Amino acid sequence: MPRVTGLGSPSRYKRFILCFGVILAAVFVCCFCTLLFGKANFGVADLLAALAEPGGEDVSHRILWNLRIPRMVAAILAGSSLAVSGLALQTVFRNPLCGPFVLGISSGASLGVALAMLAGVGFGHFGVLGAASVGAGAVTLLVMMVAFRFTRSSVLLVAGLLFGYFIDAMVSMLIAGAEAENLQVYVAWGFGSFGRLTLDAVWLFAAAVAVGLALVVCSVRYLNAARIGDDFARGLGVNVKVARNCVLLGSSILAGASTAFCGPVAFIGIAVPHLSYMLFKTTNMRVLIPGAMCCGSLLALIAGLFPPSIPLNAVLSLVGVPVILYVMLRGSGRS
Amino acid sequence: MSDVLLRCENMAFGYAGRDPLAGEFQFELHGGEVVALMGENGCGKSTLLRTFAGMIAPVSGNIELCSSPLESWNARERARRIALVRMSGIAPERITVREFVSLGRSPYSGVFDSRSASDRSIVERAMDMTDVSAFAERPLSELSDGERSRVYLAEAVAQQVKVLLLDEPNAFLDIPRSHALFRMLRDLAENRGMGIVVSTHSIEYAERYCDRIMVVNAGTVSVAPASDARKDGLLDWTEVGV
Repeated sequence: MPRVTGLGSPSRYKRFILCFGVILAAVFVCCFCTLLFGKANFGVADLLAALAEPGGEDVSHRILWNLRIPRMVAAILAGSSLAVSGLALQTVFRNPLCGPFVLGISSGASLGVALAMLAGVGFGHFGVLGAASVGAGAVTLLVMMVAFRFTRSSVLLVAGLLFGYFIDAMVSMLIAGAEAENLQVYVAWGFGSFGRLTLDAVWLFAAAVAVGLALVVCSVRYLNAARIGDDFARGLGVNVKVARNCVLLGSSILAGASTAFCGPVAFIGIAVPHLSYMLFKTTNMRVLIPGAMCCGSLLALIAGLFPPSIPLNAVLSLVGVPVILYVMLRGSGRS
Repeated sequence: MSDVLLRCENMAFGYAGRDPLAGEFQFELHGGEVVALMGENGCGKSTLLRTFAGMIAPVSGNIELCSSPLESWNARERARRIALVRMSGIAPERITVREFVSLGRSPYSGVFDSRSASDRSIVERAMDMTDVSAFAERPLSELSDGERSRVYLAEAVAQQVKVLLLDEPNAFLDIPRSHALFRMLRDLAENRGMGIVVSTHSIEYAERYCDRIMVVNAGTVSVAPASDARKDGLLDWTEVGV
C-alpha cells in the first residue's frame, strides 16, 4: 500500500522530507553563525546568555538584540519573500526570466529613495524606509490598475517593464544632478544590505511579508493550474481574474517590503525558484512555496555571513551564480 | 436514452460583436452517448465546443447543463460536470504526468489545493484506464504526441465530469491509437454514463464509434444518428470542391 500523501509517489515524498530536512538544518546552522560571528567576537556561552535575557544591558546583549537578530530576521524575511515573489510571478507569466522586479517594483522604491537622498524630498521620520515603501507602493498600485484593465498577462509584463524603464530614467536624472556625497549614500543603498533593519521595525517587515504570503498562498489552486494556462485554470473552476490579482498584489507586497527594508536584492528572486524546482523535482506549489522560502532564506543567510565591506548584491551573484548553474546543469543532465 | 446532460435551445454561437457562425439550433446531449462534431476548418467547431463549456456566451438562446442554466453554475461546480480537453498547444515544462492528471482533482480541493486519499486513488485509476501509468513520473514535455493525448484525457477522467468535450483528439494520433482513443471514449460513455462531444475530421471514426454526428456547415448545425448521416446528406460537404 503506497503512502497516501497527495503530493506524488512515495519516492517523491521521501525526497521532499530529505530536502526540507537538510535545508532547514542548514538554515539553523546559518542562523547560529549569523548570531555568533561579526565584528565583535563573543563565544557560544555569551551568545546563549544574551539570548536567554532579552532585556540585558551589557555589550553582548545589545549587539545581539540590536544588530544581529534584526540582521538574521531581515535575511530570512527578505530571502523567503523574494523567492516566493519570483516563483509566483514566473508561474503567472509562464516565463522563467521573471523575477520579483519585472513589474518595476524595485524601480519605484529606488525612485522614492533617490527623491529622499538626492533631491532632498522629506519623508518625515520614516526616512529612507518610508521613501522606498511609498515608491514601491505607488508602482504596485499602478501595476494593479493595469492588471484590472487587461486580462492578458503578456500586456502586463510589458507594461511593468516599461514602468521600470520610465522610473529608472527619472532616477538617472536625479543622479546626474546630485552631489557626490549624497550619490555615494544612494549607491550604497542600491547594493542592498540586511543590516538596516532595526529591532522595532522587525514587526513591520514581518507583517508585510505575512500579508503578501497569505495572498499568494491562498491562490495556490490558481498557481498550480496557471502553469498550463489561464484557460486551463478556468476549466478547473478557478476564478482566474481574482486569483491572478491576488498573486500580483501579494508578489508586489513581498518584493516591495523586501526592497524597502533591504534595498534592491535582485538575484534571489530569479534564481531560487529554479533552484527549488531542481531540488524538489515537483511543480506542486504546496511544496514549492515552502521550498523556495527555505532556499531563499538559506541563500540570504549565507550571503549575510560575508563581511559587510562586500556589497550584498555582489556576494549573492558571485556565490549564487556558480552554485545555481551547477545545480541546474546537473539536474537537467540527469532528467 | 437516459438523462439529458446538456441542452441547447434556439442557440446561435459565435463571438460577440460579429455575425454568428451558425444559426439557431436545438441539441440535447444524453448520458451514455458519443457525438461526433464535424465540419470544415474554420467552421466554428472549436468555438462551439468553447460555447458548450461556458467559456464564451452563446450569441442567442440558452444552454442548460444538468437541467440548470450553464451560466448559473459557479465555476467550481461547473468544472465538476463539464470539461473541454484540448490536445494542441505547447506542453508546459517540468510538470510530470501524475502531477498533471492530479490537477483534474482541483475542482474538488480546498483553498490550499490539497488531495485526499480518494482523490489520489481516482488519479491512479484514471491513469490506469488511459494507459499512462507506466510513465507517470516522466515530464509531460518529453512524451510523444500520442502519449500526451492520453494524459490530457486522463486529466479529464480524473475530473469525473458528466460532459466531456474533446477538440480534435486524434489530430496527432496514428491509426491504431486513434481507434484505441475512440474505443476509450465509448467505454467512458457506456460505463460511466458520460455524454461526450468529440470534434474530428475522420468520417470513419465518426461512423464507427459515435452514436450521432453533428455537422456545422454553411451557417447551420444539423444532427443525425451516425448510421443515417450519410443517407441524410449531412456529409455531402465532404465531397465537393476537391
